[in-house]
Amino acid sequence: MVSRIIRTIVLAIAGIVWLAPVYLLIVNAAKAPSAYNPRESWVPDGGALLENFAEAIRLSGLGDSVVSTLIYATVAPGVAVIVGASAGFAIVALRLKHGFWWFVFLFGGSIFPLQMIILPLFDGYSRTGLYDERIGMILIYTAISVPFSAFVMRNFFTGVSYNTFEAAVIDGANTWRIFTRMYLPMSASALVAIFILQATFIWNDLLLGLTLSQSDEVRPIVTTLAGMQNTYGGAQLPTVLAAGIIVSLPTVILFLFTQRFFARGLALGQY
Amino acid sequence: MTTVRKDTYRWSARGFIAPGVLLVAVLLYLPLLWTTYLSFTEYNGLGDPDWVGFSNYIDMWRDPAMVGSVLNTLMWVVGTLLIPVGLGLLLAVLTFDLKGGVWLRLPFLIPYAVSGIGVGLVWSFVLQSNGALDQALAVFGVTDPPRWLLDVPLNTLVMICAAAWQGVGVNALLFTIGLQSIPKEPLEAARLDGAGPLRLFGSIMWPMLAPLTTVVVGLSIVGSLKTFDIVMGMTKGGPGRQSETLAVTMYRDAFVNANYGSGSAIAVFLMIVTLLASLLYLRRQLSAKHEF
Repeated sequence: MVSRIIRTIVLAIAGIVWLAPVYLLIVNAAKAPSAYNPRESWVPDGGALLENFAEAIRLSGLGDSVVSTLIYATVAPGVAVIVGASAGFAIVALRLKHGFWWFVFLFGGSIFPLQMIILPLFDGYSRTGLYDERIGMILIYTAISVPFSAFVMRNFFTGVSYNTFEAAVIDGANTWRIFTRMYLPMSASALVAIFILQATFIWNDLLLGLTLSQSDEVRPIVTTLAGMQNTYGGAQLPTVLAAGIIVSLPTVILFLFTQRFFARGLALGQY
Repeated sequence: MTTVRKDTYRWSARGFIAPGVLLVAVLLYLPLLWTTYLSFTEYNGLGDPDWVGFSNYIDMWRDPAMVGSVLNTLMWVVGTLLIPVGLGLLLAVLTFDLKGGVWLRLPFLIPYAVSGIGVGLVWSFVLQSNGALDQALAVFGVTDPPRWLLDVPLNTLVMICAAAWQGVGVNALLFTIGLQSIPKEPLEAARLDGAGPLRLFGSIMWPMLAPLTTVVVGLSIVGSLKTFDIVMGMTKGGPGRQSETLAVTMYRDAFVNANYGSGSAIAVFLMIVTLLASLLYLRRQLSAKHEF
């Protein structure tokens, strides 16, 4: 009993220490740039948080980036879950010939580091006019999300009885109908889990944004933040920190609401 | 009947798998092969690549920055195994069966959803000269704090700590889920027999966590090999090139110096190491799933 109380106290203190950087981030992002004193990081001073948000958005084209990133983080994983589910459906329900090896081929796409593909992508995108275009970013984000999606969906469909499929066939449904009316709806929870996980990875991506885009309208938000950090410093620091909050808040909120999905997804062997 | 049915769906099945295969083949595998080819050439993005055989791979090791980069990456691998994975396990075991454990883990989970650049931004702010940490230390009478981000290997060590700040919570979450799946009876029985907490952990929890530990360790190694955004956010590999990791060195060679050939060689080296590390946990996963 005593040990439990001690454990709780120790953990609570550790938790507070763990949040100290978050406290510093918020407190300093709320200071008016004119009143900002780098020697008083721990002292809260002022409520200029909203002004700093506005300034961060104005200064950096962050508004355009937010819109682009929202598109990337919804369209790409949205397409990827359907493509992955359709691959899983082909392998499990339609019993595709050499299905396991096609599965290994798809899943293999997630094993090697992104560094292996960025150079040819940069080169190829420049030649085909996809460089610094939203469609180019959506394409690559979709492609990197497919392997994990196929992995989870194949596992999921393996747990679905084959009788379900046979019964639908006897009722005269074609494969397209069976996929869209039966297999997709019944896998809603798995699809959502993959979607959330991939959306967060895309939201937080730096490398692809850095190499495949340039303009404010196309650049993903994290890349824009990295650029701001290089360009502005000193007196602008509260603004940059405010930008950091804008960039981080959506994924933090999403993550806290959907922890279970994350844990399951990660345990399945993502990256 | 079954064979007829198989044939009936042959074309349909191909149609359903085609989009995924196309996307992955064109956008992932094709570039992969192209990078491998480029690693044997000298190429600056203009004109045609010149075939130079293994010379990029040989020159790679003559570059002192590359050797430093490999050593730093090694430090990242060991560091992220010891700190975030170790602390994550500790946190999971300490909060396991504790009332309000979910809430006690929450503060550690928040940083996980912050991007690497976000983590880098916060920690560069905390660690800058006369920054928040130095100010806190001054209260305790430390007047001459170390130069956190400027000295080697201290800068890599503090960046590993920043990565640990981000990663402990999610490792704890994974271990907690593992612990919850352990049957209650043996734990109760051992407790009744008078086993202490260390004994419980060593004889029951740890062995039963082994399969999950393989996954967490595998993920951690593979992830740390690719460390890029925290370093870009905190030191950009500097001062000089002293805190670069392989991923950063590759980026600099290819995109800053336009040495596509040598950048590709580093990428290939990184890929081989990553694949070897992945085998640790993929072998278990793939062999268990071979049912077709």
